[in-house]
Amino acid sequence: MATIDITKLRKEFGDEGEQIVAVEDLDLTIEDGEFMVFVGPSGCGKTTTLRCVAGLEDVSSGSIEFDGVDVTDQRARERNVAMVFQNYALYPHMTVRKNIGFPLRLSTKQSSDEIDERVEEIATLLGIESLLDDKPKELSGGQQQRVALGRAIIRDPEVFLMDEPLSNLDAKLRSVMRTELQELQQELDVTTAYVTHDQVEAMAMGDRIAILNEGRLQQVGDANEVYRSPTNEFVAGFIGSPSINLVTAEVDGDTLVGPGNFEYVLDDVSWVDGRSRVRVGVRPEDMHLVEDGAGSMPSEVTVVEHMGNENFLYARMGEVDLTARVPSKMRPPEGSRVRFDFDEEDLYLFDVDTQESVKTKTGETDVGYEQYVHNSV
Amino acid sequence: MAPTHSGGGSRFREASSLGRFPVRCDRPPERRKPGIARTTTDAGSTPRGEGERAVILNTIQSRVRTSPAYRAIADQVRYRRQDVSGTVPKIPALPYLYISPFFVLFAVFLLFPTVYTLYLSFFNYLGASNEVLLTVDFVVFQLTIPQIANLQFVGLDHYTRLLFQDSLFHQALFNTSFIFLVQVPLMVVLGLATALVLDAKFIRAKSVFRTLIALPVATGLVAYSTIFLLLFNGDVGVINYALETIGLGRVPWLSDAWWARITLVIAVTWRWLGYNMIILLAGLQTVPEQLYEAAEVDGASRWQKFRFVTLPQLRPVLLFVVVSSTIGTFQIFAEPYVITGGGPSNATITIVQYIYNQAFLQLNLGYASAVSVALVILVSIMSIIQIRYGGAE
Repeated sequence: MATIDITKLRKEFGDEGEQIVAVEDLDLTIEDGEFMVFVGPSGCGKTTTLRCVAGLEDVSSGSIEFDGVDVTDQRARERNVAMVFQNYALYPHMTVRKNIGFPLRLSTKQSSDEIDERVEEIATLLGIESLLDDKPKELSGGQQQRVALGRAIIRDPEVFLMDEPLSNLDAKLRSVMRTELQELQQELDVTTAYVTHDQVEAMAMGDRIAILNEGRLQQVGDANEVYRSPTNEFVAGFIGSPSINLVTAEVDGDTLVGPGNFEYVLDDVSWVDGRSRVRVGVRPEDMHLVEDGAGSMPSEVTVVEHMGNENFLYARMGEVDLTARVPSKMRPPEGSRVRFDFDEEDLYLFDVDTQESVKTKTGETDVGYEQYVHNSV
Repeated sequence: MAPTHSGGGSRFREASSLGRFPVRCDRPPERRKPGIARTTTDAGSTPRGEGERAVILNTIQSRVRTSPAYRAIADQVRYRRQDVSGTVPKIPALPYLYISPFFVLFAVFLLFPTVYTLYLSFFNYLGASNEVLLTVDFVVFQLTIPQIANLQFVGLDHYTRLLFQDSLFHQALFNTSFIFLVQVPLMVVLGLATALVLDAKFIRAKSVFRTLIALPVATGLVAYSTIFLLLFNGDVGVINYALETIGLGRVPWLSDAWWARITLVIAVTWRWLGYNMIILLAGLQTVPEQLYEAAEVDGASRWQKFRFVTLPQLRPVLLFVVVSSTIGTFQIFAEPYVITGGGPSNATITIVQYIYNQAFLQLNLGYASAVSVALVILVSIMSIIQIRYGGAE
């Protein structure tokens, strides 16, 4: 439908003297038909970026192009975008039928019959055809969400914008709607920009993920890329749940030495050439419990969370808190001494000062179906 | 009672937090704190000595409040209070006693006059009376209720008179309806327009305009009416002077039937516009911003946003404004009384003014009561129609 080019986008809020920069020098291209997810902590500028793309905010500088056409100075109503708001923003005084048909009534010369027909088509697609004559306040959260979607898609927009559309739903409905949204997006093949603070949602839904922090774009890539090869410590920490374990370690020859008797001998010393200190990152799922005497991370278990399919172990190594995901059968008592180990291919290293990545995961990403089956047997 | 209470609570929080971090007591407060700091305000804006004194007082207070002795006593007091509140007997009727003052006042000053007006409307008033209406014997003493007035029962005579014979009443009804039909739409439209302008983002010094427009509500009815009388005076009034200066010629504001009514409309609109504007403005500010954004994305123009978002969202508020203006306009009295005196030749006499004339100038209390009842019925019908038509939900 449309390729979105965002160039040097900058957005400031506030009067002169006391300005807050919400988005700073953001460069990004969203490909035609792509599902791009903007993710980051609150206040990172993701919603502001989306609103700039929608035309609801004036940009301070930079440009936004749809298919090569500069739309920076166009108002939202001139841009042919559709937006789903966090709280849906349905017109409370209109029925579902009127709500969904509203964009067509405003912007096209279609007759009422044609609009009604199209509304019913959309409602059937979303499974809300029986609710057409209800008012929004009579609907549940999930139903309102569908109406908001219907209102967004009825106009065949060039660009689809969603601002945390699932965050007002309960956990179960959220995962259902997540799948539905993806299916819908694939079916319609509309370029989509989607904002969320939930990295799980971002990983699950996005063709690509744009991670923002403090108004700056940190990294753009698919789920695998941002998980395995984060560009810096922030991305590594933000992506993945529970969060990556981070320890500051001294480099002593080929050994990393850290708090609480942390010691890890590197096979490949070239990673830490010329460094005296380094930030060490290990994901909870890469930590293995090993027997006494072995392992690089001696620690004391503080809390065990039983998830059913696995356990989360929270432990202290010196003054550092660690999290490990271990099989559900492993449940060391709280307060017991345990040792963790990890493989070097799963190790992340970051620069202590710049926080840029020095080493990310190096293991193979695709072992192939046959080998996978072989391994499992 | 409530403010003292919450003030005490926050002061206590303040004190205890200072007690835990005594270091902070030595410094002047950096930001505005609840409790004591509120009265001394920021250190920067008050003389330095005052701020320091507050800090010292604060410190002493917090020391006292965190001392073991104080705490022990305070705890004892708290326990006692709990014990006492446990032993206070529960009197089922007590709440009714608490709310009774309202009902007593309501009964004496509203319910009785209302009912008595209805009663009076079936009688001719012949004069005051000292005769006893009835005596209630309470054994210890006797309660005698005097007959308030000498009355002569006339049945529905007053009502047939006002419906079919009283042309002056019909004139008053016409005048009032005329003012209502011109004034209410004018004021609602103007009120909405000013509210929309004041709600717009680009307007500066909003509070100044808001205050200026709302100010007339605070003026005395008679005072402002008198000023309008002077302004609109046909010979020496400023309005005519201004009109003449710009070459439009004099307007017989008070001497022509049509223009006299228009003068009243202008006066009433001037005084009540601000009131309605404030209510509409408050209504406008409750419309969620996201609805406008959704409409914008859906392709709505400014007008369409107003038509499809603002107006429907404002409907309950608009209804309130229309109904209250209707009631107000049908009760208009001071303006015609002062500005036009009901003239010229009864062209501006209003229903309430007519009631006043009947009741207090001619002492036809019975007939005036009947007109009052008719007015209540009329206004009720109007309001019901408006609510039925305007408030579907």
